[in-house]
Amino acid sequence: MVKDDAYYASRRQFLQTLAATGAIAAADLAWWQEPFLGPRRAGAAASTVRFQFSVPEPLRISLVESLVERFNKSQSDVEVKVEFVPQAQARQKLITAVSAGSPPDCCQIWDNWVGEFDGMNALEDLTARIKGWKHYKDTVPVAWQTVTVKGKLLSFPWVVTNDAIFVRTDRAKEYGLKIPGPDWTWDDFLTLAKGFTKPDKNQYGFGMRGAGTWAVLYATEFLYSNGAQVLKDGKVVINSPESVQAFEWYIDLIRKHKITPPSVATDGYRQIVEGFGRGVTSMYLHNSGSVEEQKKFVGEPNFATLPLPLGPAKKRASFYFSETLTMFKAAKNKEGAWKFMTWLMDDEPNYDYAKTLGLLPTRQALADRPHYKHPGYQGFVKSFPFSIVSPYLAYAGWGGKLDSEGVPLVQQAMLGKISPKECLDKLAEVLTKNMA
Amino acid sequence: MGNQNATIAVPAPRALLSHATRETLSNYAYLLPAAICLGGTVLFPILKAIHMSLYYNVLIKPQEYRFIGLGNYVRMVQDPTFWLTLRNSFTWVFWSVSLQFFFGFLVALILNGQFRGRAVFRTINLLPWIIPGVVVALIWEYIYQPNYGPLNDLLRRAGLMREPVAWLSNLNLVMPAVVFTNIWRGIPFFTIMILAGLQAIPDEIYEAATVDGAGVIQRFWSVTLPMLRPIIVVSTATRIIWTFNYADLIFVMTSGGPANATQITSTYTLMQAYSDLDWGYAATLSVILLVIMLVFTALYLKLTKGVESVAG
Repeated sequence: MVKDDAYYASRRQFLQTLAATGAIAAADLAWWQEPFLGPRRAGAAASTVRFQFSVPEPLRISLVESLVERFNKSQSDVEVKVEFVPQAQARQKLITAVSAGSPPDCCQIWDNWVGEFDGMNALEDLTARIKGWKHYKDTVPVAWQTVTVKGKLLSFPWVVTNDAIFVRTDRAKEYGLKIPGPDWTWDDFLTLAKGFTKPDKNQYGFGMRGAGTWAVLYATEFLYSNGAQVLKDGKVVINSPESVQAFEWYIDLIRKHKITPPSVATDGYRQIVEGFGRGVTSMYLHNSGSVEEQKKFVGEPNFATLPLPLGPAKKRASFYFSETLTMFKAAKNKEGAWKFMTWLMDDEPNYDYAKTLGLLPTRQALADRPHYKHPGYQGFVKSFPFSIVSPYLAYAGWGGKLDSEGVPLVQQAMLGKISPKECLDKLAEVLTKNMA
Repeated sequence: MGNQNATIAVPAPRALLSHATRETLSNYAYLLPAAICLGGTVLFPILKAIHMSLYYNVLIKPQEYRFIGLGNYVRMVQDPTFWLTLRNSFTWVFWSVSLQFFFGFLVALILNGQFRGRAVFRTINLLPWIIPGVVVALIWEYIYQPNYGPLNDLLRRAGLMREPVAWLSNLNLVMPAVVFTNIWRGIPFFTIMILAGLQAIPDEIYEAATVDGAGVIQRFWSVTLPMLRPIIVVSTATRIIWTFNYADLIFVMTSGGPANATQITSTYTLMQAYSDLDWGYAATLSVILLVIMLVFTALYLKLTKGVESVAG
């Protein structure tokens, strides 16, 4: 049988066809990125705003989706497209996007990133816009401090929170332990933690954080209770005698008193929250973001929050931090981004966001609502008088160094590889070197 | 007169290029898109990394961006954490690959035999390899969880443990724990490669060896191993390169901690780039990783020459 060559393309014809198809496809790539069933457009002439949101927990996805949908339906000029990024990759993605010159128009970032992105010259100076904003004066001043860098307002403080100690009240009752009042001391703390510790039952007094930046920050809060500071007169003094004394006491909680779980050196946010929720620990230090979660885990009446205990110097400090909304210099739609950000800061969207996540609104009028009178928030509310902005926000260069060098140092101290003094001396060195 | 209209033959104009040259050029033109793609995705990033490594390039200090020559390389040589990560990398690669290979080989020999349910076992064996690396890390992080993880629970119930063991927080246990996870994940790769090699060995060779009086062990040393040598060389070499550059597992399970006990050079590079935002130094570390792998590849090419002679 003779093969009919008319039906077979030559190799050259095949390659030419392939090249032509590729060229057509490349020219038409724009449509490829559009979903077949896209969300309802705000209007035919709506301009698009790209909003990046980092997700530390799944609950936030549905919350933000519903807020964005409400915004898109509320007007016809702007359509917001939200890009969800897992929390662990959010900072990397933003850095890469900024370096490539294509950041989103606006995004949610944590206050300790604000200085870094300003250092990269990536953020839009919002001072003039914010000072003319209708709720500027109703926002608590400390919230503005968390987003002010070199006198410039670079973000909206979307929600704030500070730190307090969660305590299992039901277990205290079970073991006959007395829950101290809000002005408790280090000694009260240690007594309570020891009472809670039953290693044979896999129960420990205190869920201490050993992983992530907050391993350094939580330890620092205890140092402040002994009158220590990070910076004094422009100099790093985190290795002062009072600081070393406090850190030795803090490390003794692990090494001498053994009131922390054995996993302490690698326990991050999830481990300390879940450890308490599963009954492994009976106290932990965290922000108000886990109040709503613990209501579900251990039950609403079974826990309370207390401010940090007073140290020998009769002092204490709780660090504020905020989740912020910011706009990039290279944003393609600045007006649209501003419109969306101010909408999110309006009464109901802002209150819904804060309430759902257990965080505190930055506007006094919203913070005065009955939801925040609940006992679960009292430890945080009572900490307001001595809450300060994290001292580590002072220099943009400190943000990353706390992670890459500060955390391993604290872990070494926790594991007994170096002494608390050595740890603080080395940390002081790292901080001094990066005061830029 | 009729001859006046005679046609004069005019030679056809000569082409600028010969037919053979045009053919060659056209062939190269077809290769051009692939060459551009490879250049853009492989060569350009390497050159860019070398270029970046010669600059002080900390993203939060754009005003200090400047050429510093070999400054980052000098810093690297003086950086004790870099040497620690390099040592950790070698430990991580050596134990991961050697044990993956050993157990992979063992499983391949078992799966090469005839038994009921062999297809099911082959499929099950592939599972760890199919699961994405990040998911594997999360699963094992949970298994190792000292307070509510299944491993400690099992050991406690079996009466083998009184107090919980913090697998990922203990300086002596954390590296073996992450290596074990990597071994679990990598065994199927070697099993599949070696199984394919085993099935390609003709039965006649074994029959001839048996006729010559070779026992099981002799057949293994004198027939199986030499015949598998090309596959062993290729699979171990690629696996060593992958493992050396593989950051996901450790990054998710321990972030290089505690106290840098599991910090390997690839996770350290990631940290320099995205935590310290020091892209100049991160690029330097990447270039050094590349050099180490190039040296390894050169040795590997020497080995593959040996392979060719065996195969030939």
